[in-house]
Amino acid sequence: MSEITLRINGKQRRVTVEGRTLLVDLIRDQMNLTGTHVGCDTSQCGACVVKLDGDTVKSCTVLTATLPEGTEITTIEGVSTGDLHPMQEAFSKCHGLQCGFCTPGLVVTAIDIVERSPDGLSASQVRKALKGNLCRCTGYQNIVASVLEGARAMGVQVTEEKETV
Amino acid sequence: MKDTPEKPFKGRLEDRRFLTGKGRYVADITLARQCYMGQVLSTHAHARILSVDTSEAETMPGVIAVLTGADCAADGLGTVPPFFMPSLWGGPEGYATQRKILVDDRVRCVGERIAIVIAETADDARVAAETIMVDYAPLPVVTDARAATEADAPKLWDDNENGNISVSIPMGDKAATEAAFADAEVTIKRRLLSPRIAPFSLEPRVSVGNYDEADDRYTLYTSSQDPHGVRSNIARNVLKIAESRLRVVSPDVGGGFGLKAHMHPEDALVLWASKHVGRPVKWLGTRSECMLTDTQGRGQEIEVEIAATKAGKLTAIRAEAWTNLGAYFWGTATPPLFFAMQLIPNIYDVGAVDLTNHAVFTNLPPMSVYRGAGRPEATYLAERMMDELAAELGMDQAEIRKINAIAPDAMPYTTATGMTYDSGAFADMIDAAARVSDWSGYDARAEESRAKGRVRGRSLISYVEVAGVMNERMEIKFEPDGTVTIVAGTHSHGQGHATVFSEMVADWLSVPVENIRYVQGDTDKVLIGRGTFAARSSMLGGTALLRAKDALIERAKLMAAILLEADKDSLDFADGMFKVRDSNKAIALTEVAKMYYIPAGPANALGLGLTGEGTSAGKPGAAPNYPNGTMVCEVEVDPRTGALTVDRLAALDDVGRILNSTICEGQIHGGIAQGMGQALMEEMVFDEDGQLTSGSLMDYCLPRAEHMPDIASELSEVTCTTNPLGVKGIGESGAIGAPVAIVNAVLDAVRPLGVAHIDMPVTQAKLWSALRDAEAAQ
Amino acid sequence: MKLEGTFTVDRPRDEVWQVLNDAEVLRDAIPGCTALEPTDDGYEATVQLKVGPVKAKFSGTVTIKEATAPDLLVLAGEGNGGVAGFAKGEARVVLLDAPGGTEVAYEAEVSIGGKLAQLGSRLIASTSRKLADHFFTRLNEIMSGEQQREAS
Ligand code: FES
Ligand code: FES
Repeated sequence: MSEITLRINGKQRRVTVEGRTLLVDLIRDQMNLTGTHVGCDTSQCGACVVKLDGDTVKSCTVLTATLPEGTEITTIEGVSTGDLHPMQEAFSKCHGLQCGFCTPGLVVTAIDIVERSPDGLSASQVRKALKGNLCRCTGYQNIVASVLEGARAMGVQVTEEKETV
Repeated sequence: MKDTPEKPFKGRLEDRRFLTGKGRYVADITLARQCYMGQVLSTHAHARILSVDTSEAETMPGVIAVLTGADCAADGLGTVPPFFMPSLWGGPEGYATQRKILVDDRVRCVGERIAIVIAETADDARVAAETIMVDYAPLPVVTDARAATEADAPKLWDDNENGNISVSIPMGDKAATEAAFADAEVTIKRRLLSPRIAPFSLEPRVSVGNYDEADDRYTLYTSSQDPHGVRSNIARNVLKIAESRLRVVSPDVGGGFGLKAHMHPEDALVLWASKHVGRPVKWLGTRSECMLTDTQGRGQEIEVEIAATKAGKLTAIRAEAWTNLGAYFWGTATPPLFFAMQLIPNIYDVGAVDLTNHAVFTNLPPMSVYRGAGRPEATYLAERMMDELAAELGMDQAEIRKINAIAPDAMPYTTATGMTYDSGAFADMIDAAARVSDWSGYDARAEESRAKGRVRGRSLISYVEVAGVMNERMEIKFEPDGTVTIVAGTHSHGQGHATVFSEMVADWLSVPVENIRYVQGDTDKVLIGRGTFAARSSMLGGTALLRAKDALIERAKLMAAILLEADKDSLDFADGMFKVRDSNKAIALTEVAKMYYIPAGPANALGLGLTGEGTSAGKPGAAPNYPNGTMVCEVEVDPRTGALTVDRLAALDDVGRILNSTICEGQIHGGIAQGMGQALMEEMVFDEDGQLTSGSLMDYCLPRAEHMPDIASELSEVTCTTNPLGVKGIGESGAIGAPVAIVNAVLDAVRPLGVAHIDMPVTQAKLWSALRDAEAAQ
Repeated sequence: MKLEGTFTVDRPRDEVWQVLNDAEVLRDAIPGCTALEPTDDGYEATVQLKVGPVKAKFSGTVTIKEATAPDLLVLAGEGNGGVAGFAKGEARVVLLDAPGGTEVAYEAEVSIGGKLAQLGSRLIASTSRKLADHFFTRLNEIMSGEQQREAS
């Protein structure tokens, strides 16, 4: 057991964790933030992606006790307050979600992809950048469209309007 | 309705909850005093259980109880039969298994549940389960369905008089088929395989059970597509209690695809365990646990022979299939057995057929429905063989299909397998698909590929789906304040029913969508319903909803007549108003509705409350619908490495009247991705001992964004005549067409290099060896 | 599944034969072995193993089916690791004179089940190779240790 102070969605939280407590379990079970999901046990689905000090991570691979004091964590619940984030709007408008299980991880990942591409983004870049996220419902078509739409709304230029058909 | 620039898709009503992390899946439910269940699963595919030693587990930290099959027997728990057998669909009687929810005598596949541990935390439960030692006496194993029919094969069910065959379903006309073969100018024979694959909803299965002693009543929260079906099954068969003593709730469900169309043993186990320990019990399936214990889809071997004329006209098909049921006849395994045969004629006038499907027990985990449920197997056969015929005769892929397609003026048309298509413009669909996909621009693209040292191949395939099974019930009710609640018997887990059904009702009743609440998935709130699977909800749910609306308007009319002091038959309902014909007297429906809730006054004579209910029925018994479509695919293969890219994929779908085109297309995209997984990468691999060796995402490959081409999808509206809405189902089409579209395109690319046959999944390694073998043979 | 390999131990054949039949040495050399007791026709043993993501304690028996000193040893074994699965198989171990010592060649036919198969199949070959490496390295160490002891 150890104690650690984290900033989760902007709020300072002092938590007690065991050596084996995964970040995803802390988020879901202790913080009651159930928007972060668990879809696998081999770190391959991306349903659990959160932002950790500016980087996206699969929270099922992080041992909470190893985090530095004061680590900043943003989950899907912290992506927007009140109005939706433009990326969330884009997912809705482009029908980038069906059952919604992959959605939190995808939205967090998508915002990060756009933030890392200030010089523009293309559909094929998005497809590559989504390699860590599984979706079993949408066939990715509308997810890619959503990320590009979100990029536009976030002021990033979309360089390749349509993939070659 | 089709999205237009004036009325674009604006998102779904349910989106916000999911986008903000507020979705409520079963794993998110935490009940006070809840504890956790861990399981001991069989490590042998076939063995007698000699003993189960739980002594160490009982002393482990956090452990509350350890239960085994012996405890099940002591408590008098019942066993689970199949949801229904083929005889209910007009097939022969077969051998139906009874499955114990905890096995105490003989395991017949890996992953059978043998014991459960209830503990304070999920970890405690899992750790303690690991200390339970089961002593097995291994028995011989058979994993292959066809091998299991051999006389000396190990037998799964001792009292099955038919060896390992549960049932053999025949279809067609043997004599006519033989006659056609006798006259055939061309015959082609093939052996085709559709390996077992995993439905793999991204949300793993999960259940929470709670027994309330005060009410002597159980509540189950489970990730299910059919809560009422789960309730009936557990109450009747396992717990043997009145159905009213069990409430089943399926809140948000993270994908189903057929996996969640029936109960799983854990659903019953958490309820039983909850009564034992006097606390709510939660089971969270881990992915590897689910890979092992989930029902799987497909699993068919088929020998097929076609007869045709030199002009390319099919005259007969005969085929014998072996479907791998696994250890039990479980869940909804019946429909795929039928659909895999019934849809073989596809869009074609095939002449005579003689088909048999053997449903065979083996030591694999049970098979049940997976998106498509038999239809992909049928379509795979029809379209693989159509391309074989085209290749044999040197004909164009589109041309040969048009020669064989059923003409629109032949509708309604009854196929050789007894399906009556009500509508469909198949040859037009082929032409349109060719247009959508730039069929004629192919040569230039093939040349480009050649310049890069690659070979290009293409396919054009058609498919028919049969949608709309069983019956359904919907309810529309006005609340006292004039807002509306839809109580749906169907179950949406991604299909967007909350949006589509609410929009329909908003439109019919002229109430704002914001004033409509959508309720589903709770047996205490929904009187009865069938849930959602087999692309049934738009037709059956939609039709029932329409009838509920009609019933509601009829009842409202009685009140409107009183309020308007007019004769009921002189009232018309339009734009949310009741109007007296040839007069300017009118009253809004919402005002009428409110009058049904006032506590006193003359209107009270009509009773309390304004609701309408409607029901509908589909196959068997009433007409289903036949969505259909054409898919065009182009692939590029690197002949040196076997590397393969699906470069272009276009789908043209006839979905009947369109309720929401964006949602329809979303369903098609998702189905295509699953079909692509089946074609190229997915396979549940078992070794000869029946051990699963592809039991995690490290070994089971799923399509990711970068594998998928940009899909060109178009919808065509050929109004369905079998239901008042004119709709057809859409949920499965993509998954039906895509596997064969992709495999045919691959074969088209490599046939000139000498590869005449390849089986799914067409992995790079498999394609590479096929290319090397062909090279060596030349 | 077939596993095979050869190792060279820099001691004469007789000596190698002896240690391969010495419970004490085996207990020390088998990676993860926490108990090993001789029985009438072999051994009873407990071994802690990790194959990929699967960690388990296997308890089982080894039966000596054939022993022709100092050339050939045929062993049959099975181990039960509870929910983690099981392993069983047969191994032929052949000892040959080699320059500077003894060549030990083994051939085994192994089948595995449960979680071990589900999650570890892919890793079994490489893991057993590693375990065998460990075993023979340790054997070498033990034997040269004894040699030093004898010399001193
Ligand atoms: S839960 Fe699948 S990657 Fe974390
Ligand atoms: S929307 Fe269901 S998994 Fe992506």
